[in-house]
Amino acid sequence: LSRCRCIPAMQRELGTLPLAPALRARLAAAGFQTAQELLDTGPCGLSKEIGISREEALEALQVVRQECDGNAARPAGGPGATRKFTALELLEEEQTQGFIITFCSALDNILGGGVQLTKITEICGAPGVGKTQLCMQLAVDVQIPECFGGVAGEAVFIDTEGSFMVDRVVDIAAACVQHCHLIAEAQQEEDHQKALETFSLENILSHIYYFRCRDYTELLAQVYLLPEFLAEHSKVRLVVIDGIAFPFRHDFEDLSLRTRLLNGLAQQLIIIANDHKAAVVLTNQMTTRIGQSQSTLVPALGESWGHAATVRLILHWDNSQSNILMVLIQTQGFRIWWLSRKFLVLSAFF
Amino acid sequence: MDWDQFDLNPKTIAALKKADIKSVKEILNLSGADLQRLMKLSSADIQCLLKTVSHALRRNSMLTALQLYQDKDHFTSQHQKLSLGCSVLDNLLKGGIPLVGITELAGESSAGKTQISLQLCLCVQYPYKYGGLESGAVYICTEDVFPSKRLQQLIDQQHKLRADVPAEIIQKIRFGNSIFVEQAADLDTFQQCITRRLSLLLARGMVRLVVIDSIAALFRCEFGPAESALKARYLQTFGAQLHSLSTRFRTPIMCINQVTDAVSESEAAQCSCRIMGSKVTPALGITWSNQLLMRLMASRTSLPTPSPGAASHCAGSMRTLSVVFAPHLPPSFCYYTVQLEGVKGVK
Repeated sequence: LSRCRCIPAMQRELGTLPLAPALRARLAAAGFQTAQELLDTGPCGLSKEIGISREEALEALQVVRQECDGNAARPAGGPGATRKFTALELLEEEQTQGFIITFCSALDNILGGGVQLTKITEICGAPGVGKTQLCMQLAVDVQIPECFGGVAGEAVFIDTEGSFMVDRVVDIAAACVQHCHLIAEAQQEEDHQKALETFSLENILSHIYYFRCRDYTELLAQVYLLPEFLAEHSKVRLVVIDGIAFPFRHDFEDLSLRTRLLNGLAQQLIIIANDHKAAVVLTNQMTTRIGQSQSTLVPALGESWGHAATVRLILHWDNSQSNILMVLIQTQGFRIWWLSRKFLVLSAFF
Repeated sequence: MDWDQFDLNPKTIAALKKADIKSVKEILNLSGADLQRLMKLSSADIQCLLKTVSHALRRNSMLTALQLYQDKDHFTSQHQKLSLGCSVLDNLLKGGIPLVGITELAGESSAGKTQISLQLCLCVQYPYKYGGLESGAVYICTEDVFPSKRLQQLIDQQHKLRADVPAEIIQKIRFGNSIFVEQAADLDTFQQCITRRLSLLLARGMVRLVVIDSIAALFRCEFGPAESALKARYLQTFGAQLHSLSTRFRTPIMCINQVTDAVSESEAAQCSCRIMGSKVTPALGITWSNQLLMRLMASRTSLPTPSPGAASHCAGSMRTLSVVFAPHLPPSFCYYTVQLEGVKGVK
């Protein structure tokens, strides 16, 4: 993925690059002079050195890169050509994406920080293990203000089973607000107090956009309409589909149609996650796979669906039902974590 | 399908008619490439078609959670639940049975499942103010004969069970008239019952509770071990049909299920029923469990009655009602007894 960067354009003075004057001033004050120096520092280093957010740093670097690339031989595609990144740059970009934290450290740990924006996370498990609970929790946690470590976003909740019980969401939201109040009390910072003024139960509930889909046709239609909805509601950072399996596990004589529809859905969701910088969270059922000597529980919807999500989290009871085993599978490998049952039942049940 | 009613340009409408496409479902089932080929339209036209039909299908479908919370209308509100006729039991369930979805009541024989179901058939007939839905019930028997004598006893004793309701209101309700009993001993009869009889009663607003006693009996003899895939399909189809009726008519479906011995520890664990230390698991496996909104377990407890000296009409041994899973409830339980007037929770 690496591309050669040895072109004289890199020695361009910062003053000749199309950067905002305020930004240019900060760069000058920090001692940066050429485009090369900027690119060598990378987005994380840059944001620390001149005190801007990582997003701003990334944007600035992209502008610089494009300018410099423009002076080299133009690719055949012309001005609208795709940007080229090295693998390192992609990794850095990925690491600057936000996480939706859950305030449950075991869960945030296994997820590598929280539920990742721009990725699809699939939660699988037997009935009753807590998939819908987790989705309701995330619809609240996505709204946590930035000063408390959240992404200050809004949530879309697509419900195919009718298991979204608003009373439970109220409990979860109340507990989350209380948790933030405790943090604010302990840390006594001004922006915490200010954020808490708007982080109230009513505000939280009003920013969860609920859609009920009663069959797979309604679900397909809803997903076609999502990009438009997200463009109109640009603060949405979470799209939940609870559950993806339910509408697809009956009524299908033709399994190849099902596979094609699911693949299409997956493609659309990947694009939505990326374009709108949102986390997509899906819940899936478990089904029995009958082997030669024994049967095992595996996620439903078949083998090809297994590759749709970036991150697959499987929740499994242990034999005593007092612990949940969490198995996380993603392209880089897998992690296993034990979670005591009471921690997954996060808020008002203590 | 009358495509003219959609906000589409005439070229698209003509193409739809020529390609003999008859429904929105058909359009959404086809891939973009297939649609382009069939209708001989450009990719942009197809995208426009998809957006338009999707809008038509999903018009006005968004609610915020705040609107759901503030909705107090009897018919649509999530706060409205079907009371069990006893405040202790209602507290366990935070109001009662949710109106949309399949609730399962599993347990050993003589745990009180039929008693609770009969009680629900009476509760549903009370006014909204008293936790009812002002409508009747359908009771589908799949193995035993309907317990009409016991129902009559319960009707006669309603004033004793429902001391919270004024006597004139209780007297006005013709309990027996609004309970429709159906017999369905095999899968085909059951299928007929759901698609014809049940749909009709629900569409006419005559019932707002469906009890199936029991779902396990339908599947007990008909499937051998090699036919588990076929059995799973039946379960999923019935589950989906019941779920769909429940959603359309906002009517709770109460399925009684039997229990079997857990084959392995891990199986028992996955079906979430080790809470009370019991080594039994509800019948029909994970395929059926996936269809449920809520699972309750009724069991006989070995505790003695709270007041052994007091007179009681029935052998009042203590039973336990536990919430095995529900999206809005923590795992919890309460005790109850079965008395002459019905099922009553014990604080």
